[in-house]
Amino acid sequence: MVDFVQNCLDGIMLGSSYALLAIGFTLIFGVMRRLNLSYGPSIMVGAFVGTLVYLEFKANALAIAAATVVGAVIVGIYVERLCFRAIRRGAAVASMVSSFVIWMQLEEIVTVVFPDRTYPFPPLVSAAPVELGPFFFKVENLVMFACAAAMTVWLHWLLQYTRFGLALRAVSENPRAALFMGINVGAVMFLAFVIASAFGGVAAYLIVSADGQITPLFGLWATFKGLIAMMLGGMGSIPGAILGGLLLGVVEAQSIWYLGTEYRDLSAYFLLFLFLVFRPGGLMGQLAVEREQAAMRRV
Amino acid sequence: MPILELTSLSKHFGGVRAVDELDLTVEEGEIFGLIGPNGSGKSTTVNLICGVLPVTSGQVVFEGRDITGRQPHRVLAAGVARTFQNIRLFGYLSVWQNLWVAQNSMEDRRRENFAKRWFFGSGAERDTVDEQLEFAGLIDKRNELAANLSFGEQRRLELARALAARPRLLLLDEPAAGMNLEEVQALDGRLRTLQQAGVTIVLVEHVMELVMGVTDRIAVLNFGRKIAEGLPAAIREDEAVQQAYLGGNVGTMHA
Repeated sequence: MVDFVQNCLDGIMLGSSYALLAIGFTLIFGVMRRLNLSYGPSIMVGAFVGTLVYLEFKANALAIAAATVVGAVIVGIYVERLCFRAIRRGAAVASMVSSFVIWMQLEEIVTVVFPDRTYPFPPLVSAAPVELGPFFFKVENLVMFACAAAMTVWLHWLLQYTRFGLALRAVSENPRAALFMGINVGAVMFLAFVIASAFGGVAAYLIVSADGQITPLFGLWATFKGLIAMMLGGMGSIPGAILGGLLLGVVEAQSIWYLGTEYRDLSAYFLLFLFLVFRPGGLMGQLAVEREQAAMRRV
Repeated sequence: MPILELTSLSKHFGGVRAVDELDLTVEEGEIFGLIGPNGSGKSTTVNLICGVLPVTSGQVVFEGRDITGRQPHRVLAAGVARTFQNIRLFGYLSVWQNLWVAQNSMEDRRRENFAKRWFFGSGAERDTVDEQLEFAGLIDKRNELAANLSFGEQRRLELARALAARPRLLLLDEPAAGMNLEEVQALDGRLRTLQQAGVTIVLVEHVMELVMGVTDRIAVLNFGRKIAEGLPAAIREDEAVQQAYLGGNVGTMHA
């Protein structure tokens, strides 16, 4: 029982980083109704910018984190310009395919600039685990959870109480009407992309610094985890992204403990498979779909 | 002084001339009616003015400035707001938020600082929203989700939202569609109040009680062309107009 609860706690902390990735995905999807496959690779490039700062300047943790986030945002803007802004009126699938192309491009560039494949990444903190009754907490996991929670609260505030947040929700609900109400839809989409990239950058830093190393494959990994967490929660739903991320984390932690490390990703895919078969809208997506239909009937 | 001038405005969809060489002048401060049978090009004209559709040829001049082909949010920034034939509110936002987010549009917002523009707005703006809700009779519902309003309330909210940007010209695309008589009369009163407040109104409408009662002048379209223009009383008697309506939509004229 203690093991099970411990796994749940570990899973929630691991899942909080998945939740950040999923929030990034779902923000972009919610506003643009388009999938950004190069989301993972672009934050991977951010993490490599952090690595560069670490290797060149032996900078402290804060500077590395900042470099990671800034790098992720800059690459995110690059992706937005190329794959989304340029073909905003084109087919959604065109954006997705070109984001896949940019993914390949980013991976190639990183492989050329960093030929050693695996690089060390400094930990955020190196402290002994905290003991609380029968449970152990790794300090980096606690930091991960705290950061994710704080950012989620901030995002909630932004979307509920600020004019920009309302504009963002208006655009995601009806971009055409938003345009007529004088909302600068292009600017809102751009800022949504920037926020999503910044969330991804923070997630990348927390995950990579907890792992202690970085490889170009992190991009693929992050896209998978974020995508799965988003689909578990329901595409376009932010509460869904959080729940999906936490659920994914808990299931992975349990399967690592009871089945073995090699089953971690397999169980994640199996979970996604079950959802796609039995609840394709995800945890919150079904609700969102129904609400949307109801709203459409009335509005 | 004319506030809006359309000069030989045309819109062709393939071979169909939805709007054909249309000349129209709307004077400042008037309520101008735009009527015609179904498919006569009224809504297309509104869409051309607002920049939803690219113009095939011709010009749209607002307050002496050429706004032909501008993006919709730029047209709004210039001072032209609109409502939709079918309601398009933001259903997940509250009544109050629907107005507040639509204020995001005024041209002079550019000069405001970042925080005001994107985050909180000013206290004065929040008061303005409440005033406008009062005017629309929706102040009791300010925290209700827009999707939960009744049909008539949604119509009123749409009008209020269009006014949130403080336009000088308001284009109303069938605002009375689906309204009962009482609601139409209330709308009539609101339009007159707006006129007194200095807003010029272009009214595209099928409901004849409203058009004939409230407008100062009327233009009639048929097959994208203007077939008559004048005072409501004259339009009612006009032979070409009666012909157009009897040919298409019997009874609409006196409905």
